[in-house]
Amino acid sequence: MSSEHIIKSYDEELAKLNRIVAEMGGRAESQLALAIEAVTTRDSELAARVVEGDAAVDRLERDLDNLAIRLLALRQPMARDLREIFAALKVASDLERICDYAANIAKRAIALNQTPPVQPVGALPRMARLAELMIKDVLDAYVARNADQALAVWMRDEELDEMYSSLFRELLTYMMEDPRNISASTHLLFMAKNIERIGDHATNIAENVYYLVHGTPLTETRPKGDKSSLEVVLPARDGGPRR
Amino acid sequence: MISAQLAMPPAPAASPAPAPAPRAKVLIRNLDFYYGSAQALYDVSVPLYDRCVTAFIGPSGCGKSTLLRVLNRIYELYPGQRATGAVLVDGEDILRPGLDLNLLRARIGMVFQKPTPFPMSIFDNIAFGIRLYRRPPRSELGDRVEAALRRAALWEEVKDKLKESGHSLSGGQQQRLCIARAIAVEPEILLLDEPASALDPISTQRIEELIAELKSDYCVALVTHNMQQAARSSDYTAFLYLGRLVEFDETERIFTNPKERRTEDYITGRFG
Repeated sequence: MSSEHIIKSYDEELAKLNRIVAEMGGRAESQLALAIEAVTTRDSELAARVVEGDAAVDRLERDLDNLAIRLLALRQPMARDLREIFAALKVASDLERICDYAANIAKRAIALNQTPPVQPVGALPRMARLAELMIKDVLDAYVARNADQALAVWMRDEELDEMYSSLFRELLTYMMEDPRNISASTHLLFMAKNIERIGDHATNIAENVYYLVHGTPLTETRPKGDKSSLEVVLPARDGGPRR
Repeated sequence: MISAQLAMPPAPAASPAPAPAPRAKVLIRNLDFYYGSAQALYDVSVPLYDRCVTAFIGPSGCGKSTLLRVLNRIYELYPGQRATGAVLVDGEDILRPGLDLNLLRARIGMVFQKPTPFPMSIFDNIAFGIRLYRRPPRSELGDRVEAALRRAALWEEVKDKLKESGHSLSGGQQQRLCIARAIAVEPEILLLDEPASALDPISTQRIEELIAELKSDYCVALVTHNMQQAARSSDYTAFLYLGRLVEFDETERIFTNPKERRTEDYITGRFG
């Protein structure tokens, strides 16, 4: 909002709230990027650093919670100010979850590095790049208070869901071809699921940006690209897998 | 038994009864107001719904108290002040010349920012107005005084000292005494001009609780500088600025997502 509050310290506190959200957003992007790098380069030390880095994000979220509670209690915000604080709380909680998923990917990277390399590792960074882009764009939308930009991110999650579905099928095939692939493929599958969930949190943030700008919730139904929850594998009569 | 129940067609979902639309007790139409040559209200049109609280907010000098003063024509006590336009109470224009102002003011009670008890006993503060308008028998007078004091949530605190001066009460009690005095003559509309702004937080909450009680019987107009009080206590809110009505809507809407930028700036403390 362009005009300023009569009480200057109120503006300063709201600005600080935004700064914490922005810092959490930056951490979410880098945590995910580093976790994926740890997977592709099989770098367990880097993965360990990502796992340790999660604590800093948790601290930021606690700082933000305290500031938001303080603002609510002392300023009794109304209208857009209230939505600012409400949205910051929700966005921060989504960013914290995104970092949790990044840390989980890093943990699995350490486990995955104990097994021989598997084929479809390449599809994972492609998914991650899309997720990173979604985080970056939705944070830009948040900073610019741009509901249209947020809506674009919201729509893009379908693509991520589809990538997850196809990776799911690909990994199923590997596991059926050779049971020795099962351990590594399972880790990869969970990593892919983590990235897919990160995309969902990015859409949550997009919804909150929309609410922040317009004051009304985004009520449309988002197109879903992930059909993997409906997949079944049936034993085939000819000995090969049938789906 | 169970299967029989299952076989029964599901009962049609009871459609929620639509909330009855509030009735406009007062319709202010194209109201202009002048203090001599200075215009204080410009073309204000706003309804006051019956059995609802309508809050008027806006910075000092925006015309909200002026608007309240028009509603019972109290401004006519001062020369040079005049109103044009229409104020319809149940369809009757109360600005028309020849209206009996005493009867009008019995229908429309007013309570001011500073408690204004009369310099007489607590009992007589209430009985004064009743005697003026109704002249009831002595026995009935006592009942009416008690009823008014109970309605204003003051009875329990004063029932043993009705003969003491109204000035012996605390500020919050005095204000409730004034509200009791206003409702003793059974008005239809209550005008509250910052009724709690001179009171401590506990007395303020008592007044707010009282407002919530009173709206089941009256059409209440509340002028307040306290935004939270307007948000808590009212059903509708009108925002006035520089003598003009900027926005009128349901209170929830005004304080969560107002349509007008000026309203938003004012309620979020951005007015410079």
